[in-house]
Amino acid sequence: MKPPCPPLLMLASLCLLLGACTTTTVDEYRESSERLQLSGSETVVVLGRRHAANYETEPDFIGCIGKQLGQGTPLKVIGEPEFMDLIYPWFEPRTAPLGLKRMSRMLAEPMIGTRIRQRNIRYMIWVDGNTETTDREGSVSCAIGPGGGGCFGFATWEKTGSYEAVIWDLGDLAEDGRVKVEAKGSSYMVAVGLPIPIIAQVQDQACEGIGKQLKSFFTG
Amino acid sequence: MMKTPILLSTCIAVLLLTACATHVEVDGAFPKPLSKKMPLSSLVVFDPAFSNYVFQSSEGREVSIAVGQTQVELFTAVTNSLFSQTNFTTSQPGHSDTDIILVPHIEEVQISMPYQTKLNVYEVWIKYNMQVFDQQGQPVADWIMSAYGKTPTRFLKSASDALHQAAIVALRDAGAHFIIGFGRVPEISEWLRQRSIKNSTAPQQEQAGL
Repeated sequence: MKPPCPPLLMLASLCLLLGACTTTTVDEYRESSERLQLSGSETVVVLGRRHAANYETEPDFIGCIGKQLGQGTPLKVIGEPEFMDLIYPWFEPRTAPLGLKRMSRMLAEPMIGTRIRQRNIRYMIWVDGNTETTDREGSVSCAIGPGGGGCFGFATWEKTGSYEAVIWDLGDLAEDGRVKVEAKGSSYMVAVGLPIPIIAQVQDQACEGIGKQLKSFFTG
Repeated sequence: MMKTPILLSTCIAVLLLTACATHVEVDGAFPKPLSKKMPLSSLVVFDPAFSNYVFQSSEGREVSIAVGQTQVELFTAVTNSLFSQTNFTTSQPGHSDTDIILVPHIEEVQISMPYQTKLNVYEVWIKYNMQVFDQQGQPVADWIMSAYGKTPTRFLKSASDALHQAAIVALRDAGAHFIIGFGRVPEISEWLRQRSIKNSTAPQQEQAGL
């Protein structure tokens, strides 16, 4: 009797599923062991750094961290696009403050300071980094003809997401902590007729890692 | 009998070839800028070449980006925020009742795509020439103002979407550059200084009967 699933195929599937996993490393630095204080109406804004020439902190990653922070906590998080529109043009890549010294000067400018205080923004979280493909092997070829089409081959690629978040307290004009995350994962594409992608969720895992850690700064 | 598969293959080949062309119609809203108003009235000239501008490139992949109407909206928003009073027109007058006349032109647009740079970003550069004239139509400055925007690649995201987003970032950057840089352009700064001296001495001259 023929086995329902050939053992070789099962082994290959297992290897692929295991290989599609992502490993995440999170490091943190805190200025104080006490949790960060937020009064009822105070809010947090999460922003991406966009000044590097060769990469761009992904806007959807920033949105994901914002969602993570707001989930299951009373934290009020202002979205990046909303904040950037609110304060336009002072937080564009050309004009955003890179350090607390410049931030304090901006807050001292009544036009900007008033707008930030009106929205009760207490903490500003800057996230810098990106996810990129670090290794790629194999290939998948596809062909189409009058009789039909299909793909054949095997490809694998590795992605690494490396991000650092810095928390600024706009009340004290001080840095309260840093969280660094590195997520790595291999994805596969097997094609015998139809291509079957097995994608490692590197960016999602990095977001979850950094989001949970940032949340712990506020929830203790 | 063989005609149908050949026709089908030709159709698919044509579809695949045309799918390589990227056409982007930039469409976006810009927030009201947070800016101190300068005590100046301005007339902004959006000539048809500016308001209907379409960037076209046939080097490598065929790309076209229509930024005309959106950049008119951007400069309308930023000039309304920067000057105490702003009017708009489509052709440049010889002289104006306003303090200054602004005539924006696009000098050059450049784009880069991941297949060209091997970076995971789409980039858009726009080089403007902001011509500034005084009330009498005399040139004050030719301000070359560059704007830059980039957006990361994303799995299953089309080149059109990415270039659209990069163009919006570039336009927002142009707005930021305009608001922050206007008073810092040496020729404009000097003109503003002369004007304030003239305005502050004018009442004294009147009092002295000059």
